[in-house]
Amino acid sequence: MKRLLLILLAFLVGFLPSSAQPQEGEASADIDIPSVIFSHIGDSYEWHITDIGEKSIAIHLPVILYSKTSGWHIFSSKKMEEGQYGDFVFNEDGKIVEMVDGAQVRPFDISITKNVFSLMLSSLLILIIFLLCARWYKHHDVLSESPTGIAALMEPLVMMVHNMAKENIGEDYRRYSPYLCTAFFFILFNNFIGIIPFFPGGANLTGNIAITMVLALCTFFTVNLTGTKHYYKEMLNPDVPVFLKPIMPVIEVFSALMKPVSLTIRLFANMLAGHIMILSMVCIIFVMAKMGPAIFGPMSVVSVLFGLFLDLLECLVAFIQAYVFTMLSSIYIGIAREKG
Amino acid sequence: MISMFLLQTVASAALGKAFAGIGAAIAALAAAIGIGKIGQATMESIARQPESAGNLRSSMIVAAGMVEGAALFAIIVCLLAVVIK
Amino acid sequence: MSLVTPDSGLLFWMVIIFGLLFFLLAKFGFPIITSMVEKRDSAIGKSLKDAKEVEARMSALVEEHSKMVEEARKEQSAIMKEAIEAKKALVEQAKVEAREEADKILADARIRIAAEKESALRDVRREVALLSVSIAEKILRKDLSSEEAGAEFISKMIDEAAKTSDKLS
Repeated sequence: MKRLLLILLAFLVGFLPSSAQPQEGEASADIDIPSVIFSHIGDSYEWHITDIGEKSIAIHLPVILYSKTSGWHIFSSKKMEEGQYGDFVFNEDGKIVEMVDGAQVRPFDISITKNVFSLMLSSLLILIIFLLCARWYKHHDVLSESPTGIAALMEPLVMMVHNMAKENIGEDYRRYSPYLCTAFFFILFNNFIGIIPFFPGGANLTGNIAITMVLALCTFFTVNLTGTKHYYKEMLNPDVPVFLKPIMPVIEVFSALMKPVSLTIRLFANMLAGHIMILSMVCIIFVMAKMGPAIFGPMSVVSVLFGLFLDLLECLVAFIQAYVFTMLSSIYIGIAREKG
Repeated sequence: MISMFLLQTVASAALGKAFAGIGAAIAALAAAIGIGKIGQATMESIARQPESAGNLRSSMIVAAGMVEGAALFAIIVCLLAVVIK
Repeated sequence: MSLVTPDSGLLFWMVIIFGLLFFLLAKFGFPIITSMVEKRDSAIGKSLKDAKEVEARMSALVEEHSKMVEEARKEQSAIMKEAIEAKKALVEQAKVEAREEADKILADARIRIAAEKESALRDVRREVALLSVSIAEKILRKDLSSEEAGAEFISKMIDEAAKTSDKLS
């Protein structure tokens, strides 16, 4: 009961600004919600941290281009601030294109964008954490003392994935367990880093279809390149009545191709939807600011609370999506490694 | 009269966005029904056999993940329909 | 559309970085962690199994021991019973033997008594015969005397015969 009253009080505190009078011209700037949201979930050549007044603080990342006509170009994206640098302009999607004879040609673009930079940072973090963990196990006798520090934090998670691999794959699970552990912790860490709103977090990495596609393709190749004869026989020549024999292989091959697609889309869409919802909740505050102080106060409280709830939901979804991806990969590998 | 109105709306992109909204709602509805059925089955099974709660919980989460994957397919399509100019 | 089309630059970097990450972790990271933890788990499992085995053996030993004690006690009571019964039997037997002995002694005594009686009777008969002979002699010496002197005489003769036989016996 007391807690309910406390929440109601916090809600009513939002009415405090209603005494302020709106000034002319202050609230005339329209917030372009879609562009704000898409700039946060999309990729860009610089890492925009914040705006102080009129000046924007951003980390300008290098642009690395290879165009067929003019060779390699490496320059900082600061040079593209005006929107043009030499022959290079931004096209409508925000990507750099080269103006060759009046036509826009997209060069081979391997710039260090925001996502690539975040990918490097998070991979470095994962590497450091797990190499430290392994170092603990090398320097201590595992039979006489229990792990401390980072090894104690990571061990249950590693063993969770390892046991999942053991029960789903069967005998030779030790070959596949490192890949499953890597995929699980990569997705988990990147999901969590994406929830953090400021630098170095906040880059929507797992909500980017390229990342999830590579992960799903890794699983696809692991499953299909190391499948046993039994797996291929079941897929292409199953033990069914004659009139089903032509269509069963088609269905099986289609389902084998759909598995990585579903893995991709599931992870990508979950993370993207979570980010968009949180960003929308925050943008509501800015939209409500235009509508006058009476609505602004309470709605900002509501928005903050809802945003908090969505953030916690995002944490849960981050773990669940990593878990589901790893579990499904292990199940597919287990099916492919079935013997007779 | 009605045909003029329909023609006008068909010409505008607003129709696409309106139906995208409806599509997203239907996708959310489908996801909710699917996961609700999974939750119901899991809860009945746990009530029948409490010692297998751990196994059932993991299976429930996996199945829910797959159902959500299908629903999010539709969400992505609707999002594209809204976003594409 | 840019949302669902993968960007080639990102694909390139992702493949490189994820490949490097996987290679490094699969060589230096996860196998060490998981092998050590599996070693610990198997050691724990083995020691648990050993402990269970030892416990089982201990309980078997304890059972055996208690069974042996039980048997010993049973044997002890059996032996006691046997001893008591043997004692009783011995006592009985001794009694029987004693009775037999007593009977034999009694029988012997009876036989001796009978023999002695016989001999005593024989002696008495001899005596009586002697006495009667001597009385008859005395009577015959005096057989011509009178009757009342004869009765008095007979009694005097019997007294003398008795005195003689007393002197003889």
